[in-house]
Amino acid sequence: MKRITTIIMFVMTLGLIGCGGPAGSPGITEDEILIGNVQDLSGPMKELGMLLPSGSNLYFDHINSNGGVHGRKIRMLVEDAQYNPQKTVAAVKKLIEKEQVFCLYNVIGTSPAEAVRPLLAESEIPLIAPATQSGTMSDMSRPAAEYIFHTDTGYDIQSGILIDYAKGMDENAVIGVIYQDDDYGQNVIKGVEESEAEMGITVQKESFQRGATDFAGQVMNMMKGGCTHVIIAGIVKEPIIIMKTAEAMGYTPQFMGISPTMDHRVSLAAGAAGEGFISANFAQLWNSDYDVPKLYRELCERADVPEAMMGMYHYYGFSTAIVLVEGLKRAGKNPTRKKLIRGMETFKNWDGAGTQPLTYNRNDHAGAESVILVQISDGVQTTITDWLK
Amino acid sequence: MKGRYQDENLKWIPALIALVILLPFILKGMTFSYKYYLYILNTIGIYIILTVGLDILSGYTGLISLGHAGFMAIGAYSSAILVDQVGLPFGLSLIISPIIAGLFGFIIGFPALRISGMYLGLTTMGFGFIIRRLIIALREWTQGSGGLVVSSPELFGFTIKGDWANYFLVWIFALLAIVASRRMMKSKIGRAFMAIRDSEQAAEASGINLAQYKMMSFFISGVFAGLAGVLMAHTNHFISTDHFDNMLSIYFIIMVLVGGMGSIYGAVLGTIFIVFLENLIVPVVEGWLHAMFQNEAGDIESLIFGLIMFLFIIFQPTGLYGMWLKIRIYWKLFPFNPKQRFT
Repeated sequence: MKRITTIIMFVMTLGLIGCGGPAGSPGITEDEILIGNVQDLSGPMKELGMLLPSGSNLYFDHINSNGGVHGRKIRMLVEDAQYNPQKTVAAVKKLIEKEQVFCLYNVIGTSPAEAVRPLLAESEIPLIAPATQSGTMSDMSRPAAEYIFHTDTGYDIQSGILIDYAKGMDENAVIGVIYQDDDYGQNVIKGVEESEAEMGITVQKESFQRGATDFAGQVMNMMKGGCTHVIIAGIVKEPIIIMKTAEAMGYTPQFMGISPTMDHRVSLAAGAAGEGFISANFAQLWNSDYDVPKLYRELCERADVPEAMMGMYHYYGFSTAIVLVEGLKRAGKNPTRKKLIRGMETFKNWDGAGTQPLTYNRNDHAGAESVILVQISDGVQTTITDWLK
Repeated sequence: MKGRYQDENLKWIPALIALVILLPFILKGMTFSYKYYLYILNTIGIYIILTVGLDILSGYTGLISLGHAGFMAIGAYSSAILVDQVGLPFGLSLIISPIIAGLFGFIIGFPALRISGMYLGLTTMGFGFIIRRLIIALREWTQGSGGLVVSSPELFGFTIKGDWANYFLVWIFALLAIVASRRMMKSKIGRAFMAIRDSEQAAEASGINLAQYKMMSFFISGVFAGLAGVLMAHTNHFISTDHFDNMLSIYFIIMVLVGGMGSIYGAVLGTIFIVFLENLIVPVVEGWLHAMFQNEAGDIESLIFGLIMFLFIIFQPTGLYGMWLKIRIYWKLFPFNPKQRFT
C-alpha cells in the first residue's frame, strides 16, 4: 500500500512539474522568431516542394543579414509530410507542441492545409500563405478561417478569369477543361460551373487521375467536342504531355492553364507544341523588370542558386516570405500570435511582395482576387495582360 | 478441472492497464511537449487495433492482405457520414461503422476461397484502389478527394476533445482489442484459423469449414480495421483519400512482419516500433544526412522501412516478439543454454 502511495505521489509531482510552461509567446526569443513550414520533400510533389522553402530562406537570409525583424532573426523549421494530410497533422503537431513555433507558413497542398484547421483553432496559431491556391482556403465560413491568410487567387476565380478571357478573344469559343480529379480540380470545376451559369454556356469537362501520364483519351474527346479553347488544370508535367499529344493528333486549340502550370519548364519541355500557351499567374514574372523580381534575381546570384531551381515555384517561396515578414513587422516589437493576426489584417492593397495587391480585414482573408496572364511566345514567357479580376 | 485460460500468464493485464493509465501523467511531468507525444501514442493505439486485426487475418489464418487501409477508410468515412450527416450518436456509429467495414471484409473473403498467396495480395490491393475511387465518386457525402472534416466524439453526454481525452478513448479500445484478440486466438476460432494457415487440406479433413472460417477471419479483421478508422476520423477531425493509400497498407504489413506474424504481442510491438521509428528516429537520421550532405534527405523513410523489412525477413523471421521469446528462454535456462539454440 505504501509503495502504491509513493508511486501515486511521484506521478502527481511529475504532473505538477509539467503544469509550468515557457513564459511569453511561443517561438519568440530576444533574438529569434521561429516559424514552421510543412512541405512535400519526398512525396508526389517533391520536385516543387523542395523549391518553396529554398526560395523562402533566400529572403529570410537577406532579412537576417540586414538585422532581422525588430532585431530578431527568422529561423524556419521545415517538416516533410509527403503531401499526406495525416502526416501533415503529425508534422504540425510537432511544430506547435514540440518545437513551439510562433506561426505556421506555407503548408503545401489543399487537403493537407484543410486537415490542420482543427489544430489552428485549438492552438490559436496563424497560418500565413498556405501553399495552395484553392478558394476554400479563404472561405471565412470554414473552421479556423480567422487564422488563415491566403495570398493567392483561388482556382475557382482563376478558371472564371480564363473563360472570360477566352470569350473575349472569340465570342464563339467552345471551351473545354481537362482537370485533375482531386481537391484542386474540384475547385477549378466550381469556378467553371459558376461561369456556365452566369454566361449560359456549356464547358466540356474531362478529368484525369493525379500522376497520370497518358492523356490521349481526354485530348481526343476535346477534339471530338470541337473545343477551340482548352483549359488545363494540372501542374507542370500535364500541360506538356497534353499539348504534345494534341500536336501529334494535329489538333491545335488555344491551350490555357491554371496558375500551377505557369512554370517556365512548360515552355522549355513542350517546345513548339507549347507555343502560344496562356497561363494565369499569381505574381509578376520572376524574370521581369519589376522591383521584387529584380531583388529576387540579385539575391539568387549572390547566393549562387542553380539556374535550374529558379522559376515560378522558387519565386513563390520568396514572395510569400516577403508577405510573412511584412506581417511580422506589423505585429510590433513584442509580437504575439494575436498581434500577428491583427497586423496581417492591416494590409490594404499592399503590393510589396511582387504579387497582386493584397488586402486583408477581419471578415476577408482572401488577400487577392486577380491574376495576370502570361503567354509563351517564341519559347519565352511574356506577360500579356494587367491584373485581371 | 483446468480452465481454458489457465495456461496463459494473465499477470501482464493489470500491469499493462496501469502503465497505460499512468503514461500520460508521466509524460506531462517529463516534457512540456507531452501533447505531441500523446498524439504519437494515440496514433500507435489506433494502428494497434488495426494491426492486431491484420495479424488475425495474415498471421493466424495465413491470408495476406495488402488493402487494409481500404477497410480503415470504410470505417472512417462511414462514421463521419453516420455521425455528421445522418445524425447518429457516436456510440452507435462505434458499433455500426466497424460492422460495415467487416461486411466489406466478408465480401472480399469470397475470392479468398479460391485464391491464395500473391494473387490474394494483389486482389486485396485492388480492393484498396477500388475503395479510394468509390470514396471519390461518392462526392455528395464524402467531398471527393478534398477530404472531410469530422466532429469530436460524444459519449455519455461528454465531448471528447484534445489529445489527453483522445488518449484514454483510443487506448481503452486498443487494450480491448489486444485482450479480445488474444482470447479469440486461444479459442476454437483461433485454433481453426491456425489449422487453415498450416494446411488447408488437413484443416478440412479435421472438419473445419474452410469457407466459413476464412470469411469469418476477413470479417473480424475488417471490424478491427473499421474500428481503427472510426477512432482515427473522430480524433484527427479530418479524413482524406490521400491518407488511405496503398503505402499505408504496406506499412501495416511491415508492422506485423517486424513484430512477428502470428502473435498478437508481435503486432503490438511491431506497431510501436514502426510508429516510433517514423516519428522519432527517421527525422533525426534525416537531420544527420541533411547536415552531412547539405541536401534534403529525400525519401529516406521508405528506404529505412524497406531495409528493416528486408533485414527482419532474412535474419529475424519471427520478428521482435520472437526475439523477446528467445531472450526470455535464454535467461530462464541460464547458465545451461545449449549453444546452438541461440546462435
